[in-house]
Amino acid sequence: MAQKAIKYIGRTTDFKGNTLWELVGSLPDWGVGRMVIRNMFQRYPEPCYMRILKVQAVNEQPNEARKVRVTVEKTWRGITQPKPVEIYSTSYKADYSLVPVGEEQKYLSNKNKVEEVILPTTIELPPLLREYIRDETGVANPQMKVHFKKTFNKQARLAQEGEKPTLEVSMDVGKPAPVASKLYEGLL
Amino acid sequence: MLRAGYQLLNHSPLGAAKTGSNNFALEFVRWRRKPRWLPVAKSKVFRVPERKKQPEEERAELMRLHNHYKTQLRSVRQFLRAEVVRHEETSTADHIVLTPEQEEAEYQLCIAENAAWNAKIASERELRLAKEREEKVAYVQERLDAGKLREELRRERASEHIRHEIEQSKTFITRSNLDEAIETALANPVDHNFAIDMAGAMYKGRTTQSLGSSA
Repeated sequence: MAQKAIKYIGRTTDFKGNTLWELVGSLPDWGVGRMVIRNMFQRYPEPCYMRILKVQAVNEQPNEARKVRVTVEKTWRGITQPKPVEIYSTSYKADYSLVPVGEEQKYLSNKNKVEEVILPTTIELPPLLREYIRDETGVANPQMKVHFKKTFNKQARLAQEGEKPTLEVSMDVGKPAPVASKLYEGLL
Repeated sequence: MLRAGYQLLNHSPLGAAKTGSNNFALEFVRWRRKPRWLPVAKSKVFRVPERKKQPEEERAELMRLHNHYKTQLRSVRQFLRAEVVRHEETSTADHIVLTPEQEEAEYQLCIAENAAWNAKIASERELRLAKEREEKVAYVQERLDAGKLREELRRERASEHIRHEIEQSKTFITRSNLDEAIETALANPVDHNFAIDMAGAMYKGRTTQSLGSSA
């Protein structure tokens, strides 16, 4: 009798792969030095991968996917984080894959970078506040600084002196992205 | 619509028969919905919810709007926070710096003012306390006088009572005059029975001779 094709029943998932414990639990030396990837992050053209630095096993809990405490050096969208990152609370997700040593070069040689976004340094005030400030100072069009907090993996930065920002920031809805212009047909 | 459906269910005898006698067949009419703590309905156990795909353009636009809004909001908050700090720095209250001599002079001024207040309040207090003391003395004296009067009255009443008793004791029957008293009693029997006729006349005594009638 011929084997019937498997028919899956139930909710579907976007995850693909194994939990982290399923990967590191069966490797020699717990897979220290090996490269793992989250398949969810492979949607980005920039390289996203992690290299295992340290593994600590955690006792299995009944009726739960087994977790494991793994310290990794994380590269996300082409930027390697300066500090090692500990994966614990997300280690149960069945979304990790081990990269064979021969294929690591594919990720390492991927030199794609996220396109830099340059923010303007000033933004106009909201209407009512603008009226107050205008009354107080007499400036026709008062401006305030754009909020920006520098972090190591931020894709945006503030414009330098005399530099032209790539992103328009205003106090209204702003200009819709070209892909989404269809949504605003007859409205803007 | 749901309401109508539930009313139909409640009225039809089929509803109760179908759900049977298990414990989860409670019908919650008030909220028109299964409470969260009841398990999945039998008919929905194997239902797989559909995963709706969000259009790419919509996702991108929502993301852009979110980022835009966050930038605006954080900028305004940053601006207002800076305003508060600036206002605190430039407001006058905390920024008058005094020399030690001035501070000392101000302190002495405060001390003098405080002493004056204290003296004023002390004189007022002494007056008040003296008045209160006088009132207290008067009150106590009044109470003492009233007590004395009360005691005198009580003594008078008691001596009156004693005099009365002494007066009464003259007619007491004692061991010495007992026989005499018995003889007197036997010689003068008293009968308290009486009869009344139609006119209301009273006839005292039954077996003894009537003592006389009163109209």
